Amino acid sequence: MSFKDQIAFVRQHIRRNRLRVFMTVLAATMGTAFLIVLASVGFGLQKTIKDDILSNQMVTQIEVYSEEMTDAKADAMKEIDHVEAVVHRKQLVPAAIGELEAYKGHLNTYFTNFKDEQASGFRLAEGRFPEKPGEVIVGSQFAAQLIAESVEVKEGEEPASYDGSVIGQTFTFSFEGENDETASGTWPFTIVGVKEAPGKDWAFDGYLYLDESFMKEIESAYVAASPDLDEQEDMPFTNSSVNVYADDLANVKAITQKLKDDGYAVYSVSEEIEQIDVFFLALKAGLIFVGTIAILIASIGIFNTMTMAVTERTREIGVMKALGAGPKLIQRLFLMESAWIGLVGTVIAVVISYGVSFAANAILPIIVDAALGGETGDSFEVTFSVIPWQLVLIASAISLTVAMISGWRPARKATKTDVIGALRHEL
Amino acid sequence: MIEVKGLSHSFRVGKKGKETEVPVLKELALKARDGEIVSIVGRSGSGKSTLLHILAGFLQPDAGRVLVDGTDLTAMGEAQRAAFRLDRFGFVFQNFQLMPGLTAFENIELPLTLKGVPASERKRKVEELMESVGLTGIRGHYPNELSGGQQQRVGIARALVTEPPVIFADEPTGSLDSETEQDILNLILSLNRKYGITFVIITHDDEVAAIANRQYRMHDGELAEGGIRHVV
Ligand SMILES: Nc1ncnc2c1ncn2[C@@H]1O[C@H](COP(=O)(O)OP(=O)(O)OP(=O)(O)O)[C@@H](O)[C@H]1O
Ligand SMILES: [Mg+2]
Repeated sequence: MSFKDQIAFVRQHIRRNRLRVFMTVLAATMGTAFLIVLASVGFGLQKTIKDDILSNQMVTQIEVYSEEMTDAKADAMKEIDHVEAVVHRKQLVPAAIGELEAYKGHLNTYFTNFKDEQASGFRLAEGRFPEKPGEVIVGSQFAAQLIAESVEVKEGEEPASYDGSVIGQTFTFSFEGENDETASGTWPFTIVGVKEAPGKDWAFDGYLYLDESFMKEIESAYVAASPDLDEQEDMPFTNSSVNVYADDLANVKAITQKLKDDGYAVYSVSEEIEQIDVFFLALKAGLIFVGTIAILIASIGIFNTMTMAVTERTREIGVMKALGAGPKLIQRLFLMESAWIGLVGTVIAVVISYGVSFAANAILPIIVDAALGGETGDSFEVTFSVIPWQLVLIASAISLTVAMISGWRPARKATKTDVIGALRHEL
Repeated sequence: MIEVKGLSHSFRVGKKGKETEVPVLKELALKARDGEIVSIVGRSGSGKSTLLHILAGFLQPDAGRVLVDGTDLTAMGEAQRAAFRLDRFGFVFQNFQLMPGLTAFENIELPLTLKGVPASERKRKVEELMESVGLTGIRGHYPNELSGGQQQRVGIARALVTEPPVIFADEPTGSLDSETEQDILNLILSLNRKYGITFVIITHDDEVAAIANRQYRMHDGELAEGGIRHVV
C-alpha cells in the first residue's frame, strides 16, 4: 500500500469519527500549548534579565583583582588573544581636597593612562583629552561634589554645589592634613574634558582622572609631608584596579578563563550570565516537566480514542487482514492516526502559543504598570514570554512522542486481531 | 493446485483450567486442481468453515499440511501468509464483509490499493470489472445503500480484482433469495470458465454444490469425496 493511499485511508477513518478525533486533538492542543506557554515564561524572564545585564554594563569588560598588581603584569595581559585594551587604574587612598573658587569638596582620584582608557571605550561628553601637564578629566558629577562653604545651609535644603560648566576651570588639589592642609603642597589642575555619564542612572561618577605621570610627583610630596607614615605602613598610597576589555562578548569567556588560570581573581559579565543560564536552565527544565504532565494527561485521551477506534473497527481490521493486509501495515495505519492527532494538536498549539505569548507581552506590562500606579516608568521593560524555535522543537518532540507512545498499544492490539473472530463480529 | 494432507484441528473450549479439547477436523485430505470448482457440503457445525479458514491461512492447524502449488502455507509466519493471500487468494463471504466507510468502487479497489497498484490502473480495472459483474450505476454507493445481491456482487468483484488463481467462498449465497442465488452462481460459473479461476465453495445447499466439478461431503470433521465431474 503506497504512503499516499495509507494517508487517504487514515483520513477516511478520521472523517468518520470527526467529533471524537476533534476532542482528542483539542486535548492534545491544550496540553502542548500549556507546555509551550509555561516554558516561554522561563525563556522570557531569562531574556529580560540578560538584556538588563547586557544593556547596563560594559559587557566586554573583565575585572581583574590581584594583591600585587603591577604595570608589568597589566601590560602582560594585553598579549592575551582577543584583548583589545587593558586599563590599569590606581585609586588614590589618602583623602584629597579640591577647591574651585569658593567651592570645596573631597576628591576621588584615579591615576590612569588615557591612551588605554580611550582604547577601552572611555568617552568624553565634552572637551578633549589632556595634552599638557596639569590638564585633567573629571566625571560627569564632579561639580556636584564641590560645595559652597560660605553659604549657610538651611534646614531641609541641600547645600549649594558648583553648577557652572567645569570645562576650562582650574582648581587646586591638596591632601587633607591634620594641621596644615597644604603641607604637602597644592597642584593647580585645569579641567579639559568631562567623561560621558555612566549608563545606569544610579551610578555616581564624581571622579577626578589624572594622568599616571602625576603619580610619582604627588606621592613623593605626600610621603615627605607625612613623617608619621611609618605607623600606617599597611595603608598603601593607591589601590590598583585592572579592567581587561575583550574585542567581542563571545571571547570574554575564554579570556576570563585564561586570567583565572594565571591566578587572578576575575569577574566578568560572562560569569554572571553563566550563573543566570544555569539557574534558568533548571527553571525551564522544571517548567517543561510540569508542561509534559499536561501532555501526558492529553495522552490518556489519545489512548482512549485509539483503543475505541480499534475496538470499533475490529471487523474492518479482520477484513483487511483476510484480504491480505500484513500486521505491519495494520499497525502503521493506526500509528499514523495517533500521529496525525499529535501533529495537528501540536501545530495548532504552536500557533495558539505564539498568539498567547504575543498577547501576554502586549497586555501584562500594561496591567502591571497600572497595578503599580504607573510608577514603573520608561525603564520598565519586561518580556513575559518568549518562544524560541528550540522550545517549539522540544514541545513538538514531546507531544509527538507521547502521541505515538499512547497510540502504540492500541495499534499493537489491532495487529493481534483474530481474523476469524473479527469476521464473525456483528456490525 | 491446492493439496491438503493429514489435516487435524481441535479447539479448546471451556473455562481456564477446565478446558476440554473438541476435535473439529480429523486427519482429512483434500485436492483442488487448477480451474476446478470444488464444493464442500455438510451440516452445520461439521467443520466446513474451520477447514476453509485453514486453507486460507487464517488459522494454523494442529497437524497437517496445506500445499498451494507446492508451497506449504502452514510453514509460513503471519505476515508471510498475509502477503501470500494478497497475491494468490480471493475471498467471498456469506455476510459480504464490505468496508462500511468505503463506496462500492473503493471496496472493490481495496485489494489493489493494498497491493500498491497505481491509482490510474486501479480505476481502469475496477471500472471494467464493475461492468462485467453487472454493477453499473452504483459506483458511489456505500454498502448500506445496496441490496444483498448487489453487495455480494461487490464482494465477488473485490475477490476478483487482483485476478487471483483461487477464490474461497464461504456460503456465498447463504444470505440471498433463490433467484439472486442463481444469478450469483451463474456469475461464478462464467468467471470460472472465462478466467479459469479455481473456486472452493462451502455450502449446505445441494443446488450450489451441483455447479462443482469436485464435491466433498463433510461429516463430523471427516471429509469424503462425493463425485467428480471433469472440467468442461
Ligand atoms: N473458535 C472456536 N472455538 C471453539 N470451538 C469452535 C471455534 N470455531 C468453531 N468451533 C467449533 O467447531 C465446530 C465446527 O465449526 P464450523 O464453524 O467450522 O462449522 P460449519 O460447518 O462452518 O458450520 P455452519 O454451517 O453453521 O457454518 C463447531 O462445533 C464449533 O462449535
Ligand atoms: Mg460455517
